[in-house]
Amino acid sequence: MAAAAATAATKGNGGGGGRAGVGEASGTRKKKGPGPVATAYLVIYNVVMTAGWLVIAVGLVRAYLAKGSYHSLYYSIEKPLKFFQTGALLEVRIVPSSVVLTSFQVMSRVFLIWAVTHSVKEVQSEDSVLLFVIAWTITEIIRYSFYTFSLLNHLPYIIKWARYTLFIVLYPMGVAGELLTVYAALPFVRQAGLYSISLPNKYNFSFDYYAFLILIMMSYIPIFPQLYFHMIHQRRKVLSRTEEYKKFE
Amino acid sequence: MKHYEVEILDAKTREKLCFLDKVEPQATIAEIKNLFTKTHPQWYPARQSLRLDPKGKSLKDEDVLQKLPVGTTATLYFRDLGAQISWVTVFLTEYAGPLFIYLLFYFRVPFIYGHKYDFTSSRHTVVHLACICHSFHYVKRLLETLFVHRFSHGTMPLRNIFKNCTYYWGFAAWMAYYINHPLYTPPTYGAQQIKLALAIFVICQLGNFSIHMALRDLRPAGSKTRKIPYPTKNPFTWLFLLVSCPNYTYEVGSWIGFAIMTQCLPVALFSLVGFTQMTIWAKGKHRSYLKEFRDYPPLRMPIIPFLL
Repeated sequence: MAAAAATAATKGNGGGGGRAGVGEASGTRKKKGPGPVATAYLVIYNVVMTAGWLVIAVGLVRAYLAKGSYHSLYYSIEKPLKFFQTGALLEVRIVPSSVVLTSFQVMSRVFLIWAVTHSVKEVQSEDSVLLFVIAWTITEIIRYSFYTFSLLNHLPYIIKWARYTLFIVLYPMGVAGELLTVYAALPFVRQAGLYSISLPNKYNFSFDYYAFLILIMMSYIPIFPQLYFHMIHQRRKVLSRTEEYKKFE
Repeated sequence: MKHYEVEILDAKTREKLCFLDKVEPQATIAEIKNLFTKTHPQWYPARQSLRLDPKGKSLKDEDVLQKLPVGTTATLYFRDLGAQISWVTVFLTEYAGPLFIYLLFYFRVPFIYGHKYDFTSSRHTVVHLACICHSFHYVKRLLETLFVHRFSHGTMPLRNIFKNCTYYWGFAAWMAYYINHPLYTPPTYGAQQIKLALAIFVICQLGNFSIHMALRDLRPAGSKTRKIPYPTKNPFTWLFLLVSCPNYTYEVGSWIGFAIMTQCLPVALFSLVGFTQMTIWAKGKHRSYLKEFRDYPPLRMPIIPFLL
């Protein structure tokens, strides 16, 4: 869900203000870009993020080759993953038009990294973690390079295609990884009473993190199909338009 | 006397929906809406938005055809506002809920707390006091809706009732659950804290009511006039000297009082959310006062004296 919302967030509103520069989801070729300083800043940001996720991808591959198995690869990329995914919080400021969708997406990713995977050590060796890490990594590499190229007004079709096509597999993959991870964390949360407070207490308040996580999992049911079909719709709009333009070349 | 012709087009598709001939020049938009409903009964007047420009502002019901910048054949654009529900209905529903729901928790109706607590009563005085305050607050709101408020708009979109009721009913249940819980912990500073908080609550309730009455008196029954509110002889209304929307100020004060009295975090959170929403409303109201009245008192802030 977090993976898909990433693409949905920026697609749904034409990529937001200065971000993409070239109108994309709306399909219209409005060349209203940001000023030169803002563009430079955005290019640097997107290049750095692309590089960061490439580092994570490379780290995964190297660890896999060294270990000989795909289990417990989380530990080898834990730090860059936390750094670059949390760094995405900066994006919320950059994309003023889709603040709701972007912050929703970033928050859910950050939540999964810190409040679930980091907090519940026992799930870090789960294969489900690898599942969403791979999904996010591929998605983000493509997404950030998409923005970088868009800002420089030189977008290779393959990147655009990849961004609007690979989600078909990556999104469900990411969602599966996320849900399985939260599910795996449940017994440990229950046992340790993690992040939970019970009555009686001075402020007459209680919070059950276990129940909260279940609620989060259930929220995927209405949200996931909506985002998924929204992106399929976007795909049809964007890729078919490109086909039209190509005909005139 | 020259009659007007009015054609109504769909604002999005420009399709011709209705043609009215022999319309009186003094006809109001309200009357035109009624005529339009005759040909399209599913679009009752409350859900019609008529404007001179497809993307322009809606015309008011009181606007007179003759005074509009149109020729003898007027073209109006129509937008469907969606199913509408009256403000009174929404208010009554959203306020009756908390009143009733809180009492379910207060009387410890079965299936909320453990079976051994069914229909038991709390041994803390403050819990009974809280029930009285909460119930009083919502009874006051219901009565004000029926007898005091004079609404500018008759209706709002239907989906609002679901949104609003979820908010009010949800928070009421959440707060009531903790305050009436068998494991409830009374305030740290005991009777002192309770008395002070109760005083704040009562004063703010009186203040809020005073403002509602003052606002009502600004507007004659059945009219939609807007005037600058000023302090009256009632000391509670003197807050008008410092803020545009003292009713919101007092409302926040009431809930802060209630939060201190019950020393309950969910109540504090409810106050915070309410405060945020009311600040947005107050700022909007303040802005429209400034726009409409050149001589608006400069010292006034929207909701918090000197600050916000």
